[in-house]
Amino acid sequence: MTRRVRTTKALAKRMDLQYFTQPHPLRKWRMWLSIAVPVVAVVWFFSARATGQKVYSSGPVSAHHAFFGKKCELCHVTQGFFHKEVKDTACLSCHDAPAHHPTEVRADYKQPNCGTCHVEHTSSPQLAKTPDAGCTECHSDVTRAVNSSAAAKLTSTPEGFDDVHVAGFDRHHPNFDAFRTGDPGTVKLNHWAHLHAMIAGPNGENDKVKMTCTDCHRPASDKSAWPYAREVQTCPSSSSAPAAEVKTVAANMEDNPRQVSSRAYMEPIKFATQCAACHMRDLQFDKRFNESVPHCQTDVVQKFLREKYTQYLAAHPNALSEPLNVNRVVLSSLVQLPPAPKTREEWINWQVANADQLLLNHERGCGLCHQMNKVEGGIPVAAKSAIPVRWMEHADFDHDAHRMIECQSCHAQAENSRKTSDVLLPGVASCRGCHQQGGAMHDAADGRCSECHQYHDWQKEQRLPKKDFTIPQLRSSAAGME
Amino acid sequence: MRIDHTHRKWFIVSLVILAVAVIAYIPYRQWYPQGVGGGTAMGLIYGSVGFAFMIFAGLLGARKKVPIWRVGRAQTWMRGHIWLGLLSFPLILLHGGFKFGFGLTHWLMWIFLLVFISGIFGAVLQHYMPKTIKERIPMETIYEQIGRVRGQLVDEANNLVEQACATLTGNLSDASVEQRAAAAGAGTMGGITVATGLQIDEDSCGEMRGFFQNKLKPFLEGYGARRQPIANRDTAKSMFDQLRLLLPSNLHPTVEDLESICEEKRELDQQTLYHRILHGWLLVHIPLSYAVLVLGAIHAIKALAY
Repeated sequence: MTRRVRTTKALAKRMDLQYFTQPHPLRKWRMWLSIAVPVVAVVWFFSARATGQKVYSSGPVSAHHAFFGKKCELCHVTQGFFHKEVKDTACLSCHDAPAHHPTEVRADYKQPNCGTCHVEHTSSPQLAKTPDAGCTECHSDVTRAVNSSAAAKLTSTPEGFDDVHVAGFDRHHPNFDAFRTGDPGTVKLNHWAHLHAMIAGPNGENDKVKMTCTDCHRPASDKSAWPYAREVQTCPSSSSAPAAEVKTVAANMEDNPRQVSSRAYMEPIKFATQCAACHMRDLQFDKRFNESVPHCQTDVVQKFLREKYTQYLAAHPNALSEPLNVNRVVLSSLVQLPPAPKTREEWINWQVANADQLLLNHERGCGLCHQMNKVEGGIPVAAKSAIPVRWMEHADFDHDAHRMIECQSCHAQAENSRKTSDVLLPGVASCRGCHQQGGAMHDAADGRCSECHQYHDWQKEQRLPKKDFTIPQLRSSAAGME
Repeated sequence: MRIDHTHRKWFIVSLVILAVAVIAYIPYRQWYPQGVGGGTAMGLIYGSVGFAFMIFAGLLGARKKVPIWRVGRAQTWMRGHIWLGLLSFPLILLHGGFKFGFGLTHWLMWIFLLVFISGIFGAVLQHYMPKTIKERIPMETIYEQIGRVRGQLVDEANNLVEQACATLTGNLSDASVEQRAAAAGAGTMGGITVATGLQIDEDSCGEMRGFFQNKLKPFLEGYGARRQPIANRDTAKSMFDQLRLLLPSNLHPTVEDLESICEEKRELDQQTLYHRILHGWLLVHIPLSYAVLVLGAIHAIKALAY
């Protein structure tokens, strides 16, 4: 019996020499798939276009543009046969976006296109949230990015900005300006005393009150009654009352029209609303009168006193012969008490001077809160209160957005502050506790420049004319657009 | 194609191009703070170069279809296909700023990623599999001829069985009346009569035929036939050993031949499997590559418009 032998010749004889002319299933499948898959892809593309799907869109439009998202041609204006670019005119037809603050623009600065910063179709819900690099491109070197006078102001400070190269809020952002310039306010206020039951309340020395932050600091929209408010005599308009310079939040908002929240800033401190209930007592000038002088500048107070004593003398003709009642206070160097009066006029002058002794000293009266400036040959005047409504001139802050945080969490030093000069603004480190680069990516609040700083000079915003679109026009998709 | 020292130049050139592209990307990324994209000047450069590489890689198919074209050696084209195709993906990533985009771009990138991954998978297979096949399948044949060879193995096994049966010393059913009578009166030798010897031969032949028909043939005829016990090498050995016990020793060489046929069939099955792995990835890679080229062209045209 012959055994099985595998020789080359025997193996060669097995082969069908025409085998390569027969299509093999694997090759056939490859060929048909190579035709079918691209065809399916092209059919998908054109059918999706035909059914209005945005197969070619590079991403969903931002939330504010989504309502006319099907109306591509509103932004993509056909130019010539081929191009459908978005020009600034398309943006500006709806948005009056004023240019960058001109005083802070370098001579070589070229205004970028809208799309350079506000990139659409990126799934970003808010186009206003622009990346930091767009700002730090110029503002990294703070001294160079501003005009010469501002740069001089910055570099003239002890700390200077010479070594500051801002790369982001948590990367070399300098501390807020107020920490270098200090508190410009002149009103003497001891926060510690007010917050620790150290002061007499509206009912006098036996009624010590412990105040809270919200007793004095509230946003404009808070309409609840001020607990320490009293009706006070309004000062004549000609008078330069200490508080007259303080603008309301609403007035201040005119400088910053984009800041729309009425809870953004605290109402400025005013004597009538936050101080009068307790401090009207400090403006009492004579036991014979059951009233206080108006909370106005000293010229008005002088006029008021003179009127009061004139009326008193008319009503009490014997007052001229009554013993003089000198106010027992630490005598102020600001006012000299005249010699004992002999005439009616001298009596009135003496009484006014005596009242001034009480009102203008450093422990009671005007001097308790106000810095009194000497006037050569005249009555001292109270310095302008100069309480800032906005501490950060070049940045926006919204208290309303931070309402869930207790006041002391940011203004921690307020509780123990005893000096007016203490800057109780939270420092940049405090903000960085929540606001970080990357924001939500790092479970933190956003730390972008645009969170606080505005690029556009919104003071120059103009109201655009009314558009004539109908809702169906905006909601329908145009044929041929995707 | 094995990726050996002959690829060194392609590797170095590709590495240099990639390095230049990545280094250029760093300042480019800084320059566009709002995020880079395909629409910027640099983005267009990345996109154009990447797409050009993709087209070159795609032309390999055309080059193979027309082997007589005098446009460089097929091996050079294959090396270019591998390295420039590999390079095209990172360039397209740089083009899109490492984002997959939306709509068409999104799908395009995912399909391209599949093409890229399947290409790498294929390159690795082409590097290692031929050597593996050579080592593991000594009885390798032309893949397209496996079906034909399988039929030949069935015939060969059938012939072996029939030849073996024919060589048996006697066949009781074929014996004449006289032979049967002579055999019956021939006495005994060691307790076994001639008649019982003829009966044993006939039973052996039946065993062998039964084994072929019921166990060996179904295995030889079908690809894989994994459900057949004989498909397993160890089980098959036991089965053949058992068959040997049932057959006289002069039939054992036939059993060995059948075992050899069985082993060859097993190797053919193995080769079929390897071949499908070695070339099956092309069913994904090639059709999707064409789809990427077509959709990429649409993308390029539309992107330039917007």
